[in-house]
Amino acid sequence: MTIKNLFSVRKVLSYLLILSIIYASYRIYYKVKYWGFSISPKEVTDVWKIDARVSFRPISDKVHVVLSVPNENENFNILSEDIIANGYTVKQDRKNNQIIFDGKDKEGKQTLYYRLNIYEDIKNNKLNKNKPTNPERPILSEEEQLQMRQIWDLAQSHEGDKVQKIIAVINQEITNPSISLVLPVTHTAKDVAEKIIQILAYKRIPARIVRVIKLEEGKKTEKPDIKLEAYINNSWNLYDLNTGKIGLPKKWVIFQRGGVSLLDVRGGENSTVMFSVMKSVATPMKMAEYRAKANNRLGNYQYSIYTLPLLEQNTLKWLMIFPLAILVVVLLRNVIGVSTMGTFTPMLLSMSLVKTGFLPGLICFSIMIFLGLLMRALVAKLNLLLVPRISFVVIFVILLIQGLTVVGYRLDSSLVSSAIFFPIIITAWIIERASITWEEEGARNTIKEIFNTLLTAIVTYFVISNDYVRHIMFAFNELNIVIMFIVMLLGTYTGYRLTEITRFASLVKKDA
Amino acid sequence: MFSWIKVAKQLSENGVLGMNDRNYSVIAKYNKRSLYTLVDDKVKTKKLANNININTPRMIGIIEHQYEVDNLLKIVEGYQTFVIKPAHGSGGKGVLVIKNYDGEKFYSAAGEVLTFKDVYQHVSNTLSGLFSLGGRYDVALIEETVNFSDVFKNFSYHGIPDVRVIVYKGYPAMVMMRLATKESDGKANLHQGGVGVGLDVKTGETLRAVLHNKPVTIHPDTGANLMDLKVPYWREHLLIGALAYDMTGLGYLGADIVSDKNRGPMMLEINARPGLAIQIANGKGLKTRLKEIDETYPTGLSAEERVDYVLNK
Repeated sequence: MTIKNLFSVRKVLSYLLILSIIYASYRIYYKVKYWGFSISPKEVTDVWKIDARVSFRPISDKVHVVLSVPNENENFNILSEDIIANGYTVKQDRKNNQIIFDGKDKEGKQTLYYRLNIYEDIKNNKLNKNKPTNPERPILSEEEQLQMRQIWDLAQSHEGDKVQKIIAVINQEITNPSISLVLPVTHTAKDVAEKIIQILAYKRIPARIVRVIKLEEGKKTEKPDIKLEAYINNSWNLYDLNTGKIGLPKKWVIFQRGGVSLLDVRGGENSTVMFSVMKSVATPMKMAEYRAKANNRLGNYQYSIYTLPLLEQNTLKWLMIFPLAILVVVLLRNVIGVSTMGTFTPMLLSMSLVKTGFLPGLICFSIMIFLGLLMRALVAKLNLLLVPRISFVVIFVILLIQGLTVVGYRLDSSLVSSAIFFPIIITAWIIERASITWEEEGARNTIKEIFNTLLTAIVTYFVISNDYVRHIMFAFNELNIVIMFIVMLLGTYTGYRLTEITRFASLVKKDA
Repeated sequence: MFSWIKVAKQLSENGVLGMNDRNYSVIAKYNKRSLYTLVDDKVKTKKLANNININTPRMIGIIEHQYEVDNLLKIVEGYQTFVIKPAHGSGGKGVLVIKNYDGEKFYSAAGEVLTFKDVYQHVSNTLSGLFSLGGRYDVALIEETVNFSDVFKNFSYHGIPDVRVIVYKGYPAMVMMRLATKESDGKANLHQGGVGVGLDVKTGETLRAVLHNKPVTIHPDTGANLMDLKVPYWREHLLIGALAYDMTGLGYLGADIVSDKNRGPMMLEINARPGLAIQIANGKGLKTRLKEIDETYPTGLSAEERVDYVLNK
């Protein structure tokens, strides 16, 4: 292969096409991964609003409230946080994931709000994977040490890792004396968790309490659920206290880690924290900015079309579908070989059909062409000059649109009123051309041409009216570059058009 | 689907030139855009042709502006028969043949009786660009009618039969004759129902004839045996084609030639993007011919030499 061959127009365009495909693929991957864009237009992201309402009654001049809040989670990202605490100085302690409210001279029942908007995310936030120092073996009495040993012995017969074994023992052998001795008859989940931590500490396994909230629409609770986290096999694992299952199920959010209490109120009494959960939905595109921010890809996002005002976005969304429509027209003309009136007339017609709806648009358009041709045939007898004549047709079309729209509105029929969406000049030219074709080449050719034009418009319509197609062309607008190179490459297509195969059928060797 | 691919493959083996291939590999390559203006304007073409002694119908006059339309009668004074055509027309659009003008009524070749007002209207439509490419302003060309040769009397219904010579790099590559039928309404365009007769480049004799892409042997209206067709002054026909190349520089062109009873073959127009129906009329692929010319025909010959080369091949 010579150098010249390597750089033929077709080759160069092919290279560019391949490059553009690679680029578009990368961008699609990027947008899905970091911006959370979805392939489907119907996909929505759940946004959960968690309200934590802290209330208490002050008993001294100075009130010091510490509320533990989430900041890192496996399945969720924080969309926004909101604190309502009138008259309090608020400090956020990011290191310990706490919010500290300080108040002075407060009287009566106090209410503080902490609001959190979170959404599920595809990527995993990095959890605190730091290796903890192993806890010191608790100082235990002889008797307690014996209990520990017995429990660990019992655990041997259970399945799973060490933590799961202990959870199984606690849950399943509650009647076993060595268990009933360490756990009081009435015990809370917190009691169980603390006991397990103690048992694990005996083997110097680091463990901690985790407070989680299950996201359920309309949920109200005073107590978060409790799970256990233990450091096993070089990583922190989360365990369910009842089943021993590892990992956080979907729709659970970790609120706080470690032993400290969720709410600590100094200088107050009867303190409670009430959680309420509400759900709302947002499209992935609306969430993109937050996702980009969370993934440190904000700079890139800010120069995308998705940050424009909605009006501009909608216009662009409309434009983004043009290249695909153009591609369809090019394919139909140069590869299939359909001859239409005007190159892009069918495309513009299909655009109108999108606005009018398929059937109403088609019927309305047919009515307009029919009436237009009728009028044009009458006017033909007047022998007007070309420019005034086509101008007459344009004005006639305008009047027709006006009339049909009014009639359609009065009859409450979208069938007729969709006339307003058709491009006036295009419609006028179709009428003019059809009428000339009629005079010169007969009705058959005219009907054939109109049919071809409509057929092309209909095919284009079905491609561009598809929700998926429109969403994808807008969300992954890099595809337009791919289309550009496909169209250019089609400009070098020298194969037969499909219609030529029948046209030239008589030139096929008969003996073959 | 597979049968399509099979047919496409066979067409390709038979050297059939497709529309895309024509546009990309032939026209874009050998027909410079700037040369189009030479053939788009029939007045210009006629002048060029007369300069190098190509026979064309004599010009009676031209009407360039709307106010000149009134002069029409003065221009055609003394002519009993004449043709009005748009200088920028194509495919026979807007050509009005007046067979008989008795000083009052105009009798068209299509059999209509027209008043001055009708003809006036036609000219004015022509000027406003109704028949020209892209609808731009045009000029009406009035020329003498062709007294078409009796040789073809039975071969055409009403309209004038013409010979289309495809000239590639100056060599006549493929030829067909187009005959009007009742269906084609005096026009000789194949897609309007005209008969296409493929002619042997060397002899001007019928190879085969088609109507609506299907082979025929007799004219549907006159019943003439199309196989008997032999174009006289064959060399002159080819020479017009070869000269058209010298005159325009278009590597791929179609020259339309009619035979006049008294003046012999005359060039009517040159087409810079001649269609592909000629392949159907000839039953042969054009690409094979173009390739043959590309690879084996000598370059640097004069028009006469090229014609002789083709005739003696």
